[in-house]
Amino acid sequence: MDSHADAKAQEFADNITAALQQGNSLDPIADFSDGAREEHVDLISVIQGLCDTLVPVEPSAEFAAHLKTQLLESEAGMAARLRKMPARLHIAAILALFAGFSLLLSRRLFGASAPQDMSEEPVATAL
Amino acid sequence: MQKLFARRKKYQALDDKALVELAADDKEAFGELYERYLTKIYNYVYYRTGNTHDAEDLTAKVFQRAMSHIGNYVDRGLPFQAWLYRIAHNLVANWHRDQGRRKIIALDDYVAHALQSEAPDRWTEEQEEQKQLMEAVRRLPEDRQQLLLLKFIEQLSNAEIGEIIGRTEGAIKSLYHRTLLALREDLQRQEDVSAARRLSGKEG
Repeated sequence: MDSHADAKAQEFADNITAALQQGNSLDPIADFSDGAREEHVDLISVIQGLCDTLVPVEPSAEFAAHLKTQLLESEAGMAARLRKMPARLHIAAILALFAGFSLLLSRRLFGASAPQDMSEEPVATAL
Repeated sequence: MQKLFARRKKYQALDDKALVELAADDKEAFGELYERYLTKIYNYVYYRTGNTHDAEDLTAKVFQRAMSHIGNYVDRGLPFQAWLYRIAHNLVANWHRDQGRRKIIALDDYVAHALQSEAPDRWTEEQEEQKQLMEAVRRLPEDRQQLLLLKFIEQLSNAEIGEIIGRTEGAIKSLYHRTLLALREDLQRQEDVSAARRLSGKEG
């Protein structure tokens, strides 16, 4: 298909779609398709099928309300509250986290060289 | 109550850009964006997954992700809905990849609500045709499916679809035409296969 015919075919498909979606007559557009009428009839049938099949659906009111509540009252509220906390609380939280990591790190580094707990040694039991 | 109503009115009067700026710190602004786009995103996800349960699950994830990232949203001149559709597109793609459900989704949901005909024979025939068409749509590459959903469900123009998909208006027009031709060929092929089966059944 050359570029002119291609552009014409694209225009045709677009116009047919718009007409079907708006409930307008196809006659003025169909006149345009003298050349390959059968081919265009097939195309119109596909477009009509899409118009009939791909129709909007509504989420249930229950789902919509539940999700809105979930979004706005839980996570958003928590995130907003965290953001709005005073700076000194943010600093305190960062320091606490740092102290926690330091403690874990020091235990891992120095804990291995510490003497083993006696309770971990096997104990002979009398039968 | 009147105060609440007045606040809601205030948000309704704002455009998306203003709401997005407010939404990082103001949950009611995000609530207004949610009201505006819930149905659109739900429709998109519903048709891409094929069932209500996954549509609800993924729609919830889209808005959860949008809310947690809205503070980082950068306006690059595209409509806000393009950003939401991008999130939905990525989540749906992950869903298809993770679940491997693409070929085993019941398509009955699609057609049941779309048919209004009262004649039972015609209803069955239409249902079968729509089911075949929907199956053909689902065999298309993702970008083409997205194009059809935006064109037929949202009834967006080629320019608007281009903004969402990230292509020019001309490219969308061309892609749409090629998509229709691909669908027509696919349906024809399926029809030929069915006819051959019927024929071999009669002969057998």
